Amino acid sequence: MVLQSLQLKNYRIHSNSLLTFSDGINFIVGENGQGKTTILEAIYSLCTTKNFKASSDQELLQFSTAECEVTGTFQEYTSDIVRIYYSSTETKRSFLVNGKLIYRPSEVIGKFPIVLLTPEDHQLTQGAPADRRKFVDAILSQSNPLYMETLLDYSKTLKHRSFLLNRMKEDFRSVSPDELEAWNTKMVTAGSSLITYRKKFLTLFNTYLAQAYSAILNDEELPLIEYQTTIANGETGLEEKFSEQLAKRKDEEIRRGTNLVGPHRDDFIFSINGKALKIFGSQGQHKTFQVALRFAQFFYMKDILGRTPIFLLDDAFGELDAKRAAHISNYIRNVGQAFITATDLANLSSFLRSENDKVIEVSSGQVAYA
Amino acid sequence: MNISEPLQIAIEEFSKFPGIGKKTAQRLSLFLLKKPIDEVEKFIGAIYNLKHKLKFCSVCFNITEFEICEICTSPKRDKSILCIVEEPSDIIAIERTNEYNGVYHVLSGVLSPLSGIGPEALKINELLKRLKTQEVSEIILALNPDTEGDATSLYLGKLLQPLNIKVTRIARGLPIGGDLEFADEATIARAVSNRGLL
Ligand SMILES: [Zn+2]
Repeated sequence: MVLQSLQLKNYRIHSNSLLTFSDGINFIVGENGQGKTTILEAIYSLCTTKNFKASSDQELLQFSTAECEVTGTFQEYTSDIVRIYYSSTETKRSFLVNGKLIYRPSEVIGKFPIVLLTPEDHQLTQGAPADRRKFVDAILSQSNPLYMETLLDYSKTLKHRSFLLNRMKEDFRSVSPDELEAWNTKMVTAGSSLITYRKKFLTLFNTYLAQAYSAILNDEELPLIEYQTTIANGETGLEEKFSEQLAKRKDEEIRRGTNLVGPHRDDFIFSINGKALKIFGSQGQHKTFQVALRFAQFFYMKDILGRTPIFLLDDAFGELDAKRAAHISNYIRNVGQAFITATDLANLSSFLRSENDKVIEVSSGQVAYA
Repeated sequence: MNISEPLQIAIEEFSKFPGIGKKTAQRLSLFLLKKPIDEVEKFIGAIYNLKHKLKFCSVCFNITEFEICEICTSPKRDKSILCIVEEPSDIIAIERTNEYNGVYHVLSGVLSPLSGIGPEALKINELLKRLKTQEVSEIILALNPDTEGDATSLYLGKLLQPLNIKVTRIARGLPIGGDLEFADEATIARAVSNRGLL
C-alpha cells in the first residue's frame, strides 16, 4: 500500500499543505516545531482513526480556526480516499473512506496497515508492562479481527467485574455468589483465549524479531520475547488454571476491589542471549531492541495481512551510533514506502540516496521539495 | 437566558430522550411549535395511548393491550418451549422470521454491574415462579451475543441447571439471510471457528 498524496488544512501549523510522495523513502526535514511530525501524525490518523500525539482533536486545530481537515489518497489494487474532518463548533469528527462515513475504528483497522517508530518507543523496553501489552495487542488487533473483538469483550468484562468486586468490598452479601461466578466464567473464557493467541503469536514473532535484530546489529546476539503470565504456565487446562487462580485469590480481590489475575496483568519479558534486557541491557542494546521490534512488526504484519504497511520513523536517527544508523538505513530499503523525519539532513548521512527518494523541507507549516 | 417557560420545559423534556442533546431538543420543540394544532394533538394522543393502552403481559412481560398478551393466550403456540429475550423488541424480530412457535419470557434487560443492574432487577424471579406452574421442556436463551448478554446467559444457564430442563443458546454467527459480503470480518471469523457438522 502506498500513500500517494496528502492534504492538510488548518491542521496544527499547516494552513494548507498539499504533498505528493515517493513510493520509496520520503525524508521530511525541518527544525522542531515547524510541522514535520505533524505530517506523520496526519498519516497515522488516516490509517488508524487515532491520534498518536494529540490528546484531543481540538488540539489539532490551527490557532483561531474552527475546522480542520486531512485527506489522503492511498493506492494498492484500487485507489482509496480517506478524509478526516473536525469541526470545533460541533465538536465532532467525521472519518470517511471514499465518501462513506465510518462509525467504528474496527471498520478500518487492518485495512491501512501502518507501523510507527517514535522516540517514545523507549517505553517498550524500559517502561511498564502496560506499554508492552499495548504493543502486542495493537499488532494482534490489526492482524486478527477475532483477537480485537475478544480483547474488547475482555476489557468490558473487567470493568463490570471490578464494579462487582467493589460492591462486595462494601457489602459482601449485596452480590450473589452465582452472579460473580457468571462474570468469572466470562473472564476465564475470554482471558484464556487472549493468552492462547498471545503465546501463539510470540512463537512466530520471535523469528521475525531475531531476523530484524541481526539485520540492524550484524552481531551474535539473539533477542527473545517470553510471555509472563499470572496464570500458571502449561499448555493444557488453561481455563481450569485460570479458575483455580480466581478461587485462590477471591478474598484478596474483594478486599482490594480489583481484578488481580488474568492477561491484563501479564508481561512480555525481553532478553538477549538469555539475559533480561531490562536488568542487563546496555543503552545500545535497548535502542537496537526497540528498532528491531518495529521492523519485526512491519514484516510480520506484511506477511499476515498480505499487504505492505506504511512505515513512519519519527526522529529515529538522532541518537543512533554510526554503525547502527548505517545498518538501519540499509535495511529500510526492504520496506517499501517509508516516511522519515529529521531536524537536519546531516543526520541522515548514513543513507545511500536513491533516485526514487524524495526530500521534503518543512518550515513554518510550509512545504518545499528539495 | 430569556426563553419563555413552556418552551424551556419542552426542551428539557425532549433532552431526557436517549440520544437527544440540548440542541436537538430545541430543534424538536420549535418544530412542534410550527406544526398545525391538530397534528400536534394527534402526536399527544399517540403518546397518551402508548402509556394508557399498553402494558406489560403479566406472564411473559411482552408489550400488550391486554392483561395477558396474544402470544401467551394463543392456543396455537407451543407452551413447552420458552425463549428468553432481553426486550420486547427482540420478540418482534424473532416473530418476523415466522420460524418460532413457542412462547417468550422478557428479562427486561441484562446483567450489567456498571449500570447497577443485578439479577434482582431482571424478571428472573418471575421466570422461576413461572417454571413452577408451566410445564417446559426446552428453554432457548436468545440474548444478544455481547459481553453483558453472555454473562447473563451464563448466569441463567447455571441457575436453570437443577431444574432438569434442556437449555440451549441461539447460534452465534452469520445473520440468517445475511450476505457474507456485508458481515464484518470478526463475524465471519467467528462463524468459521464455530462451524457445525453437516
Ligand atoms: Zn405474554
